[in-house]
Amino acid sequence: MRIRKALIVFDKDWRDIRRNWEVMAPIIIVPVLISLVIPLIVTLIPGSLNSNLQGSSFLENILNGLPPQLKAELAGLNETQIIKYVMLLYFFAPFFLIIPIMASSVIASDSFAGEKERKTIEALLATPLTDSELLLGKILVSFVPAMIVTAVSFLVYSLVIDLLTFNEYGWLLLPTLSWLLLIFGMAPAIALLGIGVSVIISAKVKGFREAQQISALLVLPVLVLLFGQATGSLILGPIVVSGLTMVLLLLDLIVFRVSVHLFRREEIIITSK
Amino acid sequence: MQSIVSENLTRIFNGFTAVNDLSFKVNEGDIFGMLGPNGAGKTTTIRILAAILSPTSGEVYVGGYNTSLEPVKVREIVGVLTENPSLYDRLTPIENLDFFARAYGVDDPSKRSAKIKDLLEYFDLWERRSDRVYTFSKGMKQKLAIARALVHDPEIVFLDEPTSGLDPRSSKDIRELMEKLSHKENQTILLSTHRLEDAQRLCNQVMIIDKGQLLTISSPEALRLQSTGAPTVRIQLTMLSNNLIDAAKKAKQVTSVHVEGNELVVVIEDYSATPALVKNIVEAGGMVLSVHQVESTLEDAYLKLVEER
Repeated sequence: MRIRKALIVFDKDWRDIRRNWEVMAPIIIVPVLISLVIPLIVTLIPGSLNSNLQGSSFLENILNGLPPQLKAELAGLNETQIIKYVMLLYFFAPFFLIIPIMASSVIASDSFAGEKERKTIEALLATPLTDSELLLGKILVSFVPAMIVTAVSFLVYSLVIDLLTFNEYGWLLLPTLSWLLLIFGMAPAIALLGIGVSVIISAKVKGFREAQQISALLVLPVLVLLFGQATGSLILGPIVVSGLTMVLLLLDLIVFRVSVHLFRREEIIITSK
Repeated sequence: MQSIVSENLTRIFNGFTAVNDLSFKVNEGDIFGMLGPNGAGKTTTIRILAAILSPTSGEVYVGGYNTSLEPVKVREIVGVLTENPSLYDRLTPIENLDFFARAYGVDDPSKRSAKIKDLLEYFDLWERRSDRVYTFSKGMKQKLAIARALVHDPEIVFLDEPTSGLDPRSSKDIRELMEKLSHKENQTILLSTHRLEDAQRLCNQVMIIDKGQLLTISSPEALRLQSTGAPTVRIQLTMLSNNLIDAAKKAKQVTSVHVEGNELVVVIEDYSATPALVKNIVEAGGMVLSVHQVESTLEDAYLKLVEER
Protein backbone atom coordinates (compact mmCIF):
# COMPACT_ATOMS: atom_id res chain seq x y z
CA MET A 1 0.00 0.00 0.00
CA ARG A 2 1.23 3.47 -0.94
CA ILE A 3 0.40 6.13 1.71
CA ARG A 4 0.92 8.85 -0.92
CA LYS A 5 -1.90 7.36 -2.97
CA ALA A 6 -4.20 7.22 0.06
CA LEU A 7 -3.49 10.93 0.63
CA ILE A 8 -4.71 11.69 -2.92
CA VAL A 9 -8.09 10.24 -1.91
CA PHE A 10 -7.94 12.18 1.37
CA ASP A 11 -7.26 15.43 -0.49
CA LYS A 12 -10.11 14.88 -2.97
CA ASP A 13 -12.62 13.83 -0.31
CA TRP A 14 -11.76 16.74 1.96
CA ARG A 15 -12.23 19.28 -0.87
CA ASP A 16 -15.59 17.66 -1.62
CA ILE A 17 -16.77 17.34 1.98
CA ARG A 18 -15.86 20.83 3.13
CA ARG A 19 -18.14 22.23 0.42
CA ASN A 20 -21.03 20.07 1.58
CA TRP A 21 -23.07 21.97 4.18
CA GLU A 22 -25.11 18.91 5.03
CA VAL A 23 -21.89 17.48 6.43
CA MET A 24 -20.19 20.61 7.68
CA ALA A 25 -23.17 22.10 9.57
CA PRO A 26 -23.36 19.46 12.33
CA ILE A 27 -19.56 19.30 12.55
CA ILE A 28 -19.42 23.02 13.29
CA ILE A 29 -22.65 23.61 15.23
CA VAL A 30 -22.47 20.70 17.70
CA PRO A 31 -18.90 21.44 18.89
CA VAL A 32 -19.68 25.17 19.24
CA LEU A 33 -22.69 24.31 21.41
CA ILE A 34 -20.75 21.86 23.55
CA SER A 35 -17.47 23.72 23.90
CA LEU A 36 -18.67 27.33 24.04
CA VAL A 37 -22.38 27.84 24.65
CA ILE A 38 -22.91 25.28 27.43
CA PRO A 39 -19.87 26.28 29.57
CA LEU A 40 -20.75 29.95 29.18
CA ILE A 41 -24.25 29.25 30.45
CA VAL A 42 -22.97 27.17 33.38
CA THR A 43 -20.29 29.63 34.44
CA LEU A 44 -22.12 32.89 33.80
CA ILE A 45 -25.56 31.86 35.09
CA PRO A 46 -24.72 29.96 38.25
CA GLY A 47 -27.90 30.98 40.05
CA SER A 48 -30.10 28.71 37.98
CA LEU A 49 -27.78 25.76 38.59
CA ASN A 50 -27.85 26.45 42.31
CA SER A 51 -31.60 26.40 42.60
CA ASN A 52 -31.93 23.27 40.48
CA LEU A 53 -29.10 21.20 41.83
CA GLN A 54 -28.44 22.19 45.42
CA GLY A 55 -29.28 19.25 47.61
CA SER A 56 -30.44 17.16 44.64
CA SER A 57 -29.88 13.41 44.45
CA PHE A 58 -28.10 13.94 41.12
CA LEU A 59 -25.38 16.00 42.78
CA GLU A 60 -25.24 13.66 45.73
CA ASN A 61 -24.78 10.64 43.47
CA ILE A 62 -21.89 12.24 41.63
CA LEU A 63 -20.23 13.41 44.80
CA ASN A 64 -20.51 9.97 46.38
CA GLY A 65 -18.98 8.41 43.29
CA LEU A 66 -15.90 10.62 43.26
CA PRO A 67 -12.57 9.07 44.18
CA PRO A 68 -11.46 9.85 47.76
CA GLN A 69 -8.55 11.94 46.51
CA LEU A 70 -10.93 14.17 44.58
CA LYS A 71 -13.35 14.41 47.45
CA ALA A 72 -10.48 15.75 49.53
CA GLU A 73 -9.74 18.25 46.81
CA LEU A 74 -13.29 19.54 46.91
CA ALA A 75 -13.32 19.71 50.67
CA GLY A 76 -12.56 23.40 50.92
CA LEU A 77 -15.08 24.49 48.29
CA ASN A 78 -18.55 25.85 48.88
CA GLU A 79 -21.60 24.14 47.38
CA THR A 80 -21.84 26.42 44.33
CA GLN A 81 -18.20 25.80 43.49
CA ILE A 82 -18.68 22.04 43.87
CA ILE A 83 -21.70 22.07 41.55
CA LYS A 84 -19.80 23.99 38.89
CA TYR A 85 -16.74 21.78 39.30
CA VAL A 86 -18.70 18.58 38.96
CA MET A 87 -20.79 19.85 36.06
CA LEU A 88 -17.88 21.23 34.08
CA LEU A 89 -15.36 18.49 34.72
CA TYR A 90 -17.52 15.37 34.98
CA PHE A 91 -21.08 15.77 33.77
CA PHE A 92 -20.07 17.39 30.46
CA ALA A 93 -17.17 15.03 29.76
CA PRO A 94 -19.27 12.47 27.78
CA PHE A 95 -20.45 15.28 25.51
CA PHE A 96 -16.89 15.46 24.25
CA LEU A 97 -17.24 11.88 23.02
CA ILE A 98 -20.31 12.86 21.00
CA ILE A 99 -18.16 15.27 18.94
CA PRO A 100 -15.70 12.68 17.50
CA ILE A 101 -18.34 10.00 16.99
CA MET A 102 -20.74 12.43 15.33
CA ALA A 103 -18.10 14.09 13.13
CA SER A 104 -16.40 10.87 12.06
CA SER A 105 -19.61 9.02 11.25
CA VAL A 106 -21.14 11.96 9.36
CA ILE A 107 -18.01 12.34 7.21
CA ALA A 108 -17.58 8.58 6.76
CA SER A 109 -21.23 8.17 5.73
CA ASP A 110 -20.78 10.86 3.08
CA SER A 111 -17.43 9.52 1.95
CA PHE A 112 -18.54 5.90 1.60
CA ALA A 113 -22.34 5.78 1.12
CA GLY A 114 -22.36 9.27 -0.44
CA GLU A 115 -20.10 8.16 -3.31
CA LYS A 116 -22.46 5.28 -4.03
CA GLU A 117 -25.51 7.53 -3.86
CA ARG A 118 -24.00 10.15 -6.19
CA LYS A 119 -22.76 7.40 -8.53
CA THR A 120 -19.18 8.65 -8.43
CA ILE A 121 -17.89 5.37 -7.05
CA GLU A 122 -17.41 3.55 -10.36
CA ALA A 123 -14.88 5.98 -11.81
CA LEU A 124 -13.03 5.87 -8.48
CA LEU A 125 -12.95 2.07 -8.55
CA ALA A 126 -11.68 2.15 -12.14
CA THR A 127 -8.46 3.90 -11.01
CA PRO A 128 -5.33 1.91 -10.16
CA LEU A 129 -5.74 2.79 -6.48
CA THR A 130 -5.93 -0.43 -4.49
CA ASP A 131 -8.81 -1.25 -2.15
CA SER A 132 -6.59 -0.64 0.88
CA GLU A 133 -5.39 2.74 -0.45
CA LEU A 134 -8.99 3.82 -1.06
CA LEU A 135 -10.07 2.59 2.38
CA LEU A 136 -7.16 4.29 4.19
CA GLY A 137 -7.75 7.59 2.36
CA LYS A 138 -11.39 7.55 3.34
CA ILE A 139 -10.67 6.54 6.94
CA LEU A 140 -8.16 9.40 7.22
CA VAL A 141 -10.58 11.97 5.83
CA SER A 142 -13.14 10.88 8.40
CA PHE A 143 -10.70 10.60 11.30
CA VAL A 144 -8.43 13.65 10.94
CA PRO A 145 -11.12 16.37 10.76
CA ALA A 146 -13.10 14.64 13.54
CA MET A 147 -10.07 14.67 15.83
CA ILE A 148 -9.12 18.25 14.93
CA VAL A 149 -12.65 19.39 15.77
CA THR A 150 -12.54 17.41 19.04
CA ALA A 151 -9.13 18.80 20.05
CA VAL A 152 -10.07 22.38 19.15
CA SER A 153 -13.37 22.02 21.04
CA PHE A 154 -11.46 20.80 24.08
CA LEU A 155 -9.02 23.71 23.78
CA VAL A 156 -11.88 26.23 23.56
CA TYR A 157 -13.72 24.56 26.43
CA SER A 158 -10.58 24.59 28.60
CA LEU A 159 -9.83 28.24 27.79
CA VAL A 160 -13.38 29.38 28.49
CA ILE A 161 -13.58 27.49 31.76
CA ASP A 162 -10.13 28.48 32.97
CA LEU A 163 -10.67 32.14 32.08
CA LEU A 164 -14.03 32.28 33.81
CA THR A 165 -13.23 30.21 36.90
CA PHE A 166 -9.58 30.93 37.74
CA ASN A 167 -10.40 33.83 40.06
CA GLU A 168 -13.04 31.79 41.83
CA TYR A 169 -11.04 28.59 42.35
CA GLY A 170 -7.47 29.89 42.36
CA TRP A 171 -6.25 27.12 40.08
CA LEU A 172 -6.81 25.98 36.46
CA LEU A 173 -9.62 23.44 36.34
CA LEU A 174 -8.54 22.08 32.98
CA PRO A 175 -6.73 20.15 31.68
CA THR A 176 -6.83 17.19 34.03
CA LEU A 177 -5.37 13.74 33.47
CA SER A 178 -8.88 12.28 32.95
CA TRP A 179 -9.69 14.86 30.29
CA LEU A 180 -6.38 14.39 28.50
CA LEU A 181 -6.98 10.64 28.42
CA LEU A 182 -10.55 11.24 27.29
CA ILE A 183 -9.64 13.60 24.44
CA PHE A 184 -6.45 11.96 23.22
CA GLY A 185 -7.21 8.31 24.04
CA MET A 186 -10.89 7.58 24.24
CA ALA A 187 -12.04 10.12 21.63
CA PRO A 188 -9.78 8.75 18.83
CA ALA A 189 -10.84 5.21 19.73
CA ILE A 190 -14.52 6.11 19.56
CA ALA A 191 -14.00 8.09 16.32
CA LEU A 192 -12.45 5.00 14.75
CA LEU A 193 -15.42 2.96 15.92
CA GLY A 194 -17.75 5.48 14.28
CA ILE A 195 -15.82 5.19 11.01
CA GLY A 196 -15.66 1.40 11.08
CA VAL A 197 -19.38 1.09 11.75
CA SER A 198 -20.13 3.64 9.02
CA VAL A 199 -18.07 1.62 6.52
CA ILE A 200 -20.06 -1.50 7.39
CA ILE A 201 -23.39 0.31 7.19
CA SER A 202 -22.41 2.07 3.94
CA ALA A 203 -21.67 -1.30 2.36
CA LYS A 204 -25.25 -2.35 3.00
CA VAL A 205 -27.22 0.82 2.27
CA LYS A 206 -27.56 2.93 -0.85
CA GLY A 207 -27.65 6.48 0.51
CA PHE A 208 -25.75 8.92 2.68
CA ARG A 209 -28.75 9.82 4.85
CA GLU A 210 -29.63 6.19 5.51
CA ALA A 211 -26.05 5.50 6.59
CA GLN A 212 -25.98 8.62 8.74
CA GLN A 213 -29.24 7.78 10.48
CA ILE A 214 -28.09 4.29 11.40
CA SER A 215 -24.65 5.57 12.46
CA ALA A 216 -26.39 8.06 14.78
CA LEU A 217 -27.28 5.07 16.99
CA LEU A 218 -23.62 5.05 18.04
CA VAL A 219 -24.41 8.01 20.29
CA LEU A 220 -26.48 5.67 22.50
CA PRO A 221 -23.49 4.15 24.36
CA VAL A 222 -22.29 7.70 25.05
CA LEU A 223 -25.67 8.48 26.58
CA VAL A 224 -25.18 5.46 28.83
CA LEU A 225 -21.95 7.07 30.03
CA LEU A 226 -23.83 10.29 30.64
CA PHE A 227 -26.40 8.39 32.66
CA GLY A 228 -23.59 6.63 34.53
CA GLN A 229 -22.11 9.98 35.45
CA ALA A 230 -25.47 11.33 36.54
CA THR A 231 -26.16 8.39 38.81
CA GLY A 232 -22.59 8.28 40.09
CA SER A 233 -22.29 4.66 39.01
CA LEU A 234 -19.59 5.34 36.41
CA ILE A 235 -17.38 8.36 37.04
CA LEU A 236 -14.96 9.13 34.23
CA GLY A 237 -11.74 9.13 36.23
CA PRO A 238 -8.35 8.19 34.71
CA ILE A 239 -8.73 4.47 35.38
CA VAL A 240 -12.26 4.23 34.00
CA VAL A 241 -11.31 6.28 30.91
CA SER A 242 -8.25 4.09 30.29
CA GLY A 243 -10.31 0.93 30.71
CA LEU A 244 -13.03 2.13 28.36
CA THR A 245 -10.38 3.17 25.82
CA MET A 246 -8.97 -0.37 25.85
CA VAL A 247 -12.46 -1.81 25.33
CA LEU A 248 -13.07 0.61 22.44
CA LEU A 249 -9.74 -0.27 20.80
CA LEU A 250 -10.69 -3.92 20.97
CA LEU A 251 -14.03 -3.12 19.35
CA ASP A 252 -12.18 -1.06 16.72
CA LEU A 253 -10.10 -4.09 15.82
CA ILE A 254 -13.18 -6.25 15.35
CA VAL A 255 -15.10 -3.61 13.41
CA PHE A 256 -12.16 -2.85 11.11
CA ARG A 257 -11.62 -6.51 10.30
CA VAL A 258 -15.22 -6.61 9.09
CA SER A 259 -14.81 -3.26 7.27
CA VAL A 260 -11.73 -4.41 5.37
CA HIS A 261 -13.59 -7.55 4.37
CA LEU A 262 -16.57 -5.53 3.10
CA PHE A 263 -14.61 -2.76 1.39
CA ARG A 264 -13.82 -4.63 -1.80
CA ARG A 265 -14.38 -3.33 -5.32
CA GLU A 266 -16.48 -6.28 -6.27
CA GLU A 267 -18.85 -5.88 -3.30
CA ILE A 268 -19.11 -2.11 -3.70
CA ILE A 269 -19.88 -2.14 -7.40
CA ILE A 270 -22.49 -4.87 -7.02
CA THR A 271 -24.26 -3.17 -4.10
CA SER A 272 -24.15 0.27 -5.77
CA LYS A 273 -26.41 -0.83 -8.66
CA MET B 1 -0.88 -7.31 -31.81
CA GLN B 2 -3.97 -7.78 -29.72
CA SER B 3 -4.91 -5.29 -27.00
CA ILE B 4 -7.83 -7.25 -25.59
CA VAL B 5 -8.32 -10.99 -25.48
CA SER B 6 -11.37 -12.50 -23.85
CA GLU B 7 -11.49 -16.28 -23.58
CA ASN B 8 -14.76 -17.93 -22.55
CA LEU B 9 -15.59 -15.04 -20.24
CA THR B 10 -18.50 -15.80 -17.93
CA ARG B 11 -19.89 -13.75 -15.06
CA ILE B 12 -22.68 -14.96 -12.82
CA PHE B 13 -24.40 -12.78 -10.15
CA ASN B 14 -26.36 -14.82 -7.61
CA GLY B 15 -27.40 -17.39 -10.17
CA PHE B 16 -28.01 -14.87 -12.96
CA THR B 17 -25.63 -15.21 -15.89
CA ALA B 18 -24.81 -11.67 -17.05
CA VAL B 19 -22.03 -12.69 -19.44
CA ASN B 20 -21.97 -16.16 -20.92
CA ASP B 21 -18.89 -17.75 -22.49
CA LEU B 22 -17.86 -14.61 -24.35
CA SER B 23 -14.73 -14.87 -26.51
CA PHE B 24 -13.36 -12.09 -28.67
CA LYS B 25 -10.15 -10.28 -29.57
CA VAL B 26 -9.47 -6.62 -30.26
CA ASN B 27 -6.46 -5.51 -32.30
CA GLU B 28 -4.24 -2.68 -31.13
CA GLY B 29 -5.36 0.69 -32.51
CA ASP B 30 -8.80 -0.61 -33.53
CA ILE B 31 -12.16 0.87 -32.66
CA PHE B 32 -14.18 -2.14 -31.56
CA GLY B 33 -17.92 -1.73 -31.20
CA MET B 34 -19.94 -3.64 -28.66
CA LEU B 35 -23.64 -3.60 -29.50
CA GLY B 36 -26.61 -5.16 -27.81
CA PRO B 37 -29.97 -4.35 -26.27
CA ASN B 38 -30.30 -3.08 -22.69
CA GLY B 39 -29.31 -5.82 -20.25
CA ALA B 40 -27.21 -7.62 -22.86
CA GLY B 41 -24.16 -7.65 -20.58
CA LYS B 42 -22.21 -4.78 -22.15
CA THR B 43 -21.58 -2.84 -18.93
CA THR B 44 -20.62 -5.99 -17.03
CA THR B 45 -18.19 -6.89 -19.82
CA ILE B 46 -16.59 -3.43 -19.66
CA ARG B 47 -16.33 -3.66 -15.87
CA ILE B 48 -14.54 -7.00 -16.17
CA LEU B 49 -12.22 -5.69 -18.91
CA ALA B 50 -11.45 -2.66 -16.71
CA ALA B 51 -10.61 -4.98 -13.78
CA ILE B 52 -13.39 -3.57 -11.61
CA LEU B 53 -15.19 -6.92 -11.55
CA SER B 54 -13.60 -10.33 -11.84
CA PRO B 55 -14.91 -13.06 -14.13
CA THR B 56 -16.64 -16.09 -12.64
CA SER B 57 -14.77 -18.18 -15.21
CA GLY B 58 -12.70 -17.61 -18.31
CA GLU B 59 -9.67 -15.42 -18.81
CA VAL B 60 -9.30 -11.84 -19.92
CA TYR B 61 -6.08 -10.15 -21.03
CA VAL B 62 -5.95 -6.39 -21.45
CA GLY B 63 -2.72 -4.88 -22.75
CA GLY B 64 -1.14 -8.29 -22.15
CA TYR B 65 -2.10 -8.35 -18.44
CA ASN B 66 -4.46 -10.90 -16.96
CA THR B 67 -7.28 -8.86 -15.37
CA SER B 68 -7.66 -11.30 -12.48
CA LEU B 69 -3.96 -11.65 -11.68
CA GLU B 70 -2.73 -8.10 -12.36
CA PRO B 71 -5.77 -5.84 -11.95
CA VAL B 72 -3.76 -2.77 -10.90
CA LYS B 73 -1.58 -3.00 -14.03
CA VAL B 74 -4.73 -3.25 -16.15
CA ARG B 75 -6.33 -0.25 -14.47
CA GLU B 76 -3.15 1.78 -15.01
CA ILE B 77 -3.29 1.41 -18.80
CA VAL B 78 -7.01 1.77 -19.40
CA GLY B 79 -9.29 4.78 -19.36
CA VAL B 80 -12.96 4.24 -18.64
CA LEU B 81 -16.00 6.30 -19.47
CA THR B 82 -18.56 4.76 -17.17
CA GLU B 83 -22.31 4.46 -17.73
CA ASN B 84 -22.80 7.55 -15.50
CA PRO B 85 -20.45 10.54 -15.78
CA SER B 86 -19.18 9.71 -12.24
CA LEU B 87 -17.96 13.25 -11.59
CA TYR B 88 -17.59 15.08 -8.29
CA ASP B 89 -20.21 17.82 -8.59
CA ARG B 90 -18.81 20.04 -5.85
CA LEU B 91 -15.34 20.09 -7.43
CA THR B 92 -14.31 22.14 -10.45
CA PRO B 93 -13.39 20.45 -13.76
CA ILE B 94 -9.72 21.10 -13.01
CA GLU B 95 -10.01 19.55 -9.53
CA ASN B 96 -11.83 16.53 -10.96
CA LEU B 97 -9.25 15.93 -13.68
CA ASP B 98 -6.33 16.65 -11.36
CA PHE B 99 -7.56 14.05 -8.86
CA PHE B 100 -7.96 11.36 -11.50
CA ALA B 101 -4.63 12.21 -13.15
CA ARG B 102 -2.88 11.80 -9.78
CA ALA B 103 -4.80 8.60 -9.05
CA TYR B 104 -3.65 7.24 -12.42
CA GLY B 105 -0.04 8.06 -11.58
CA VAL B 106 0.55 11.28 -13.55
CA ASP B 107 2.88 12.61 -10.85
CA ASP B 108 4.52 15.51 -12.69
CA PRO B 109 2.38 18.60 -11.87
CA SER B 110 3.38 20.52 -15.01
CA LYS B 111 2.61 17.55 -17.26
CA ARG B 112 -0.70 17.14 -15.44
CA SER B 113 -1.65 20.81 -15.84
CA ALA B 114 -0.73 20.84 -19.54
CA LYS B 115 -2.79 17.73 -20.25
CA ILE B 116 -5.79 19.06 -18.30
CA LYS B 117 -5.63 22.38 -20.17
CA ASP B 118 -5.42 20.56 -23.53
CA LEU B 119 -8.43 18.41 -22.74
CA LEU B 120 -10.57 21.24 -21.37
CA GLU B 121 -9.75 23.38 -24.39
CA TYR B 122 -10.53 20.50 -26.76
CA PHE B 123 -13.93 20.00 -25.15
CA ASP B 124 -14.68 23.76 -24.96
CA LEU B 125 -14.71 23.67 -21.16
CA TRP B 126 -11.67 25.84 -20.44
CA GLU B 127 -13.78 28.96 -19.91
CA ARG B 128 -15.73 27.09 -17.23
CA ARG B 129 -12.65 25.63 -15.54
CA SER B 130 -13.29 27.35 -12.19
CA ASP B 131 -17.00 26.55 -11.97
CA ARG B 132 -18.32 23.70 -9.91
CA VAL B 133 -19.42 20.74 -11.99
CA TYR B 134 -22.98 20.83 -10.61
CA THR B 135 -23.52 23.98 -12.71
CA PHE B 136 -22.75 22.03 -15.92
CA SER B 137 -25.28 20.75 -18.45
CA LYS B 138 -25.59 17.01 -19.10
CA GLY B 139 -23.59 17.34 -22.30
CA MET B 140 -20.80 19.28 -20.57
CA LYS B 141 -20.60 16.62 -17.87
CA GLN B 142 -20.40 13.92 -20.51
CA LYS B 143 -17.52 15.73 -22.24
CA LEU B 144 -15.73 16.18 -18.92
CA ALA B 145 -16.19 12.49 -18.16
CA ILE B 146 -14.61 11.62 -21.51
CA ALA B 147 -11.74 14.00 -20.69
CA ARG B 148 -11.32 12.15 -17.39
CA ALA B 149 -11.04 8.83 -19.23
CA LEU B 150 -8.22 10.29 -21.34
CA VAL B 151 -6.35 12.35 -18.74
CA HIS B 152 -3.56 9.78 -18.28
CA ASP B 153 -3.11 8.96 -21.99
CA PRO B 154 -4.32 5.37 -21.64
CA GLU B 155 -3.33 2.69 -24.14
CA ILE B 156 -6.86 1.33 -24.17
CA VAL B 157 -10.08 3.27 -23.71
CA PHE B 158 -13.48 1.84 -22.80
CA LEU B 159 -16.30 4.17 -23.75
CA ASP B 160 -19.80 3.33 -22.54
CA GLU B 161 -22.27 5.41 -24.59
CA PRO B 162 -19.89 8.35 -25.19
CA THR B 163 -22.31 10.41 -27.29
CA SER B 164 -25.23 9.98 -24.91
CA GLY B 165 -26.71 13.38 -24.02
CA LEU B 166 -24.58 15.27 -26.50
CA ASP B 167 -25.83 17.69 -29.14
CA PRO B 168 -25.04 16.86 -32.82
CA ARG B 169 -21.98 19.15 -32.88
CA SER B 170 -20.51 17.63 -29.72
CA SER B 171 -21.28 14.10 -30.94
CA LYS B 172 -19.38 14.86 -34.11
CA ASP B 173 -16.43 16.17 -32.06
CA ILE B 174 -16.39 12.94 -30.04
CA ARG B 175 -16.48 10.80 -33.17
CA GLU B 176 -13.57 12.79 -34.62
CA LEU B 177 -11.71 12.43 -31.36
CA MET B 178 -12.17 8.65 -31.41
CA GLU B 179 -10.88 8.51 -34.98
CA LYS B 180 -7.88 10.64 -34.03
CA LEU B 181 -7.09 8.51 -30.98
CA SER B 182 -7.30 5.34 -33.02
CA HIS B 183 -5.55 6.44 -36.20
CA LYS B 184 -2.95 8.92 -34.93
CA GLU B 185 -2.30 7.84 -31.32
CA ASN B 186 -2.83 4.11 -31.98
CA GLN B 187 -5.04 3.87 -28.91
CA THR B 188 -7.43 0.96 -28.81
CA ILE B 189 -11.04 1.91 -28.22
CA LEU B 190 -13.83 -0.36 -27.10
CA LEU B 191 -17.06 1.45 -27.81
CA SER B 192 -20.34 0.36 -26.31
CA THR B 193 -23.18 2.21 -27.99
CA HIS B 194 -26.80 2.15 -29.06
CA ARG B 195 -26.01 4.59 -31.86
CA LEU B 196 -25.50 2.15 -34.68
CA GLU B 197 -24.61 4.85 -37.17
CA ASP B 198 -21.63 5.70 -34.93
CA ALA B 199 -20.57 2.05 -34.90
CA GLN B 200 -21.01 1.74 -38.67
CA ARG B 201 -18.94 4.86 -39.29
CA LEU B 202 -16.17 4.32 -36.74
CA CYS B 203 -15.62 0.67 -35.91
CA ASN B 204 -13.22 -1.77 -37.55
CA GLN B 205 -15.10 -4.62 -35.92
CA VAL B 206 -18.43 -4.86 -34.15
CA MET B 207 -19.59 -7.49 -31.73
CA ILE B 208 -23.29 -8.00 -31.08
CA ILE B 209 -24.25 -9.63 -27.79
CA ASP B 210 -27.59 -10.42 -26.26
CA LYS B 211 -28.41 -11.96 -22.87
CA GLY B 212 -24.68 -12.18 -22.23
CA GLN B 213 -24.02 -14.31 -25.29
CA LEU B 214 -22.12 -13.56 -28.45
CA LEU B 215 -24.33 -13.31 -31.54
CA THR B 216 -21.72 -12.27 -34.06
CA ILE B 217 -18.40 -10.49 -34.59
CA SER B 218 -17.72 -8.94 -37.95
CA SER B 219 -16.81 -5.72 -39.72
CA PRO B 220 -19.81 -3.38 -39.96
CA GLU B 221 -19.73 -3.63 -43.76
CA ALA B 222 -19.70 -7.43 -43.82
CA LEU B 223 -22.51 -7.49 -41.30
CA ARG B 224 -24.54 -5.04 -43.33
CA LEU B 225 -24.07 -7.01 -46.55
CA GLN B 226 -24.86 -10.22 -44.72
CA SER B 227 -28.30 -8.92 -43.85
CA THR B 228 -29.00 -7.39 -47.24
CA GLY B 229 -31.82 -9.22 -49.05
CA ALA B 230 -32.71 -9.16 -52.76
CA PRO B 231 -31.64 -6.04 -54.74
CA THR B 232 -34.34 -3.38 -54.43
CA VAL B 233 -34.81 -0.05 -56.21
CA ARG B 234 -37.02 2.85 -55.12
CA ILE B 235 -38.28 5.05 -57.94
CA GLN B 236 -39.92 8.34 -57.00
CA LEU B 237 -42.40 9.72 -59.53
CA THR B 238 -44.36 12.95 -59.84
CA MET B 239 -47.53 10.91 -60.28
CA LEU B 240 -48.39 7.22 -60.20
CA SER B 241 -50.81 5.31 -62.41
CA ASN B 242 -51.65 1.66 -63.11
CA ASN B 243 -50.07 2.14 -66.49
CA LEU B 244 -46.70 2.93 -64.88
CA ILE B 245 -46.95 0.02 -62.43
CA ASP B 246 -47.61 -2.35 -65.32
CA ALA B 247 -44.63 -0.87 -67.20
CA ALA B 248 -42.40 -1.60 -64.23
CA LYS B 249 -43.72 -5.14 -63.89
CA LYS B 250 -43.03 -5.82 -67.57
CA ALA B 251 -39.37 -4.79 -67.32
CA LYS B 252 -36.74 -7.55 -67.49
CA GLN B 253 -35.51 -9.23 -64.28
CA VAL B 254 -38.25 -7.63 -62.14
CA THR B 255 -39.42 -9.95 -59.38
CA SER B 256 -42.07 -7.80 -57.69
CA VAL B 257 -43.43 -4.25 -57.58
CA HIS B 258 -45.28 -2.46 -54.83
CA VAL B 259 -46.31 1.12 -54.19
CA GLU B 260 -45.39 3.37 -51.26
CA GLY B 261 -46.90 6.85 -51.68
CA ASN B 262 -45.50 8.28 -54.90
CA GLU B 263 -42.76 5.66 -55.00
CA LEU B 264 -42.44 2.34 -56.74
CA VAL B 265 -40.47 -0.22 -54.75
CA VAL B 266 -39.16 -2.73 -57.24
CA VAL B 267 -37.35 -5.96 -56.38
CA ILE B 268 -35.05 -7.03 -59.20
CA GLU B 269 -32.71 -9.92 -59.83
CA ASP B 270 -29.67 -7.68 -60.31
CA TYR B 271 -28.96 -3.95 -60.07
CA SER B 272 -27.77 -4.04 -63.72
CA ALA B 273 -31.43 -4.24 -64.69
CA THR B 274 -32.12 -0.76 -63.24
CA PRO B 275 -31.57 1.32 -66.47
CA ALA B 276 -33.94 -0.87 -68.48
CA LEU B 277 -36.54 -0.64 -65.72
CA VAL B 278 -36.36 3.17 -65.61
CA LYS B 279 -36.48 3.33 -69.43
CA ASN B 280 -39.73 1.29 -69.45
CA ILE B 281 -41.33 3.64 -66.93
CA VAL B 282 -40.24 6.80 -68.76
CA GLU B 283 -41.49 5.41 -72.11
CA ALA B 284 -44.87 4.75 -70.45
CA GLY B 285 -45.06 8.47 -69.58
CA GLY B 286 -43.61 8.37 -66.08
CA MET B 287 -41.93 11.55 -64.77
CA VAL B 288 -39.04 10.22 -62.64
CA LEU B 289 -37.83 12.41 -59.77
CA SER B 290 -35.23 10.05 -58.28
CA VAL B 291 -33.94 6.47 -58.38
CA HIS B 292 -31.95 4.87 -55.64
CA GLN B 293 -30.86 1.44 -54.50
CA VAL B 294 -32.19 0.28 -51.16
CA GLU B 295 -29.24 -0.75 -49.01
CA SER B 296 -29.53 -2.35 -45.62
CA THR B 297 -27.76 -0.63 -42.74
CA LEU B 298 -25.95 -1.95 -39.69
CA GLU B 299 -29.16 -1.21 -37.85
CA ASP B 300 -31.06 -3.61 -40.14
CA ALA B 301 -28.43 -6.27 -39.54
CA TYR B 302 -28.51 -5.66 -35.78
CA LEU B 303 -32.30 -5.80 -35.55
CA LYS B 304 -32.42 -8.92 -37.68
CA LEU B 305 -29.87 -10.69 -35.48
CA VAL B 306 -31.41 -9.65 -32.17
CA GLU B 307 -34.99 -10.32 -33.26
CA GLU B 308 -34.10 -13.70 -34.72
CA ARG B 309 -33.04 -14.87 -31.25
